[in-house]
Amino acid sequence: MSDEENWKVEHDGDACVGHGRCYVLAPDVFDEDEQGHGVVKLALVCGPLEKKVRRAAENCPEDAISLHRESQS
Amino acid sequence: MSSQNDALPEVESGEINFFDAAVAAHPQPTFQRIREQCPVGKPIPGGSVCLSRYEDVIFALRHPEIFSAVMPVGLIGNKRPLIPLHVDPPEQVKYRKFLDPLFSNRNVLKMEKDVREIARNLIDRFADDGGCEFNSAFAIPYPSTVFLRLMGLPEGDLEYFLTLKNSIIRPLADSSEEEAKIRNETGEKIYAYFEKFLTELEKAPGDNLLSLFITAEVAGERMNREEILDICYLFLLGGLDTVTSTLGCMFSYLAQHPERRRMLVDDPSALPSAIEEMLRWETPVVQVVRILKEDYTIGGVELKQGEAVTLVLGSADTDDEQFANAQEVDFQRTPNKHVAFGGGPHRCLGSHLSRMELRVALEEFHRRIPDYAIRKGEQPSYSHAIREVTYLPLEFEYGSQ
Repeated sequence: MSDEENWKVEHDGDACVGHGRCYVLAPDVFDEDEQGHGVVKLALVCGPLEKKVRRAAENCPEDAISLHRESQS
Repeated sequence: MSSQNDALPEVESGEINFFDAAVAAHPQPTFQRIREQCPVGKPIPGGSVCLSRYEDVIFALRHPEIFSAVMPVGLIGNKRPLIPLHVDPPEQVKYRKFLDPLFSNRNVLKMEKDVREIARNLIDRFADDGGCEFNSAFAIPYPSTVFLRLMGLPEGDLEYFLTLKNSIIRPLADSSEEEAKIRNETGEKIYAYFEKFLTELEKAPGDNLLSLFITAEVAGERMNREEILDICYLFLLGGLDTVTSTLGCMFSYLAQHPERRRMLVDDPSALPSAIEEMLRWETPVVQVVRILKEDYTIGGVELKQGEAVTLVLGSADTDDEQFANAQEVDFQRTPNKHVAFGGGPHRCLGSHLSRMELRVALEEFHRRIPDYAIRKGEQPSYSHAIREVTYLPLEFEYGSQ
């Protein structure tokens, strides 16, 4: 078991319409596909990156991003 | 509350006037009154049904199967639906799959160098004059020049181009019949203008969007001439006015808030977040219209199929239920899920281009002219619906650097 809290990043491709807030606010975690829609490039985050993902999630106008606690074994 | 369509909730008679110049300049308190008194209803007696709460507006934007963007043809001089704005999913998706990559954040950033040069050249013309009328000196020519270059149209056509656009958006007429006549005649000219260039580019294509439209495949097929024209028509109306208006709103705000401007001059890295907040606060495209495809009850009010529903984006963006301290401007605001570019499948195609153009304009203007104010004794003038600051007299307080 690890003490480090990991979070799984989920991006709902059906809800995404390409506002592009996620890959601008958290470029280490999200990238843009050819159409300019967000894609996850780093699926597990912790610490400062988790904060960045939370900022991206709360600024997504389509509510397409969520974070889930990842239990480590 | 349930009501018949002829008895929808209304604000007390005569209280709200969207067309009032003072309201157009500072619409936020009016939006607040509408949200409080009739969030779903007719804030202007005899006007259209408006949704003014963020929650209702974002729902309508995300659900074109209920709130359709397919409009009656001809309202803006058009003979056919504009593509992709007046086409709903699933049909609309094939056009967006083709168009979105052309205007993606990544592709837009490749244009930044050229856009910056356009901004610099324009600012050079007035930087040493001690002041300018911002709309004519910068807000109009800047995005229009970017647009002509992107499309592959001659820059010498700028004036003609602007005349076409203005005759559709703000026809100078005394009656609605006269307005419709001007719009229809202008519509013919717009189709003819693009038709001429498309025919020329078919013979000698260049590195520009119009040439690409001719050869590109959309869902495995080349577009026909009408489809291309219907995209061009939308670009002309959607691509110029909106950025012009946004620039006017932002520079007017910053001219009147020197301490905020100073912050951005000293630290241009604060611009992206500040731009988002000014987009929220000013929301230059105040409203968009949808048509109900079925009877639908929203906010406890029953609306009928076929009803034209105005989504008041400016009101959604200043809704206290959605934004903490919504009536205050906070350049570091987060979360900031504003709908200045709309939302759902019809999210503004040009949002990335617009953001880049706005950032470059602010960077370049502030580099040359860090201190500016509204010229003493004068006032900026705002138009309604799309809040163009038609007259924005600026004086540069300490001259240029």
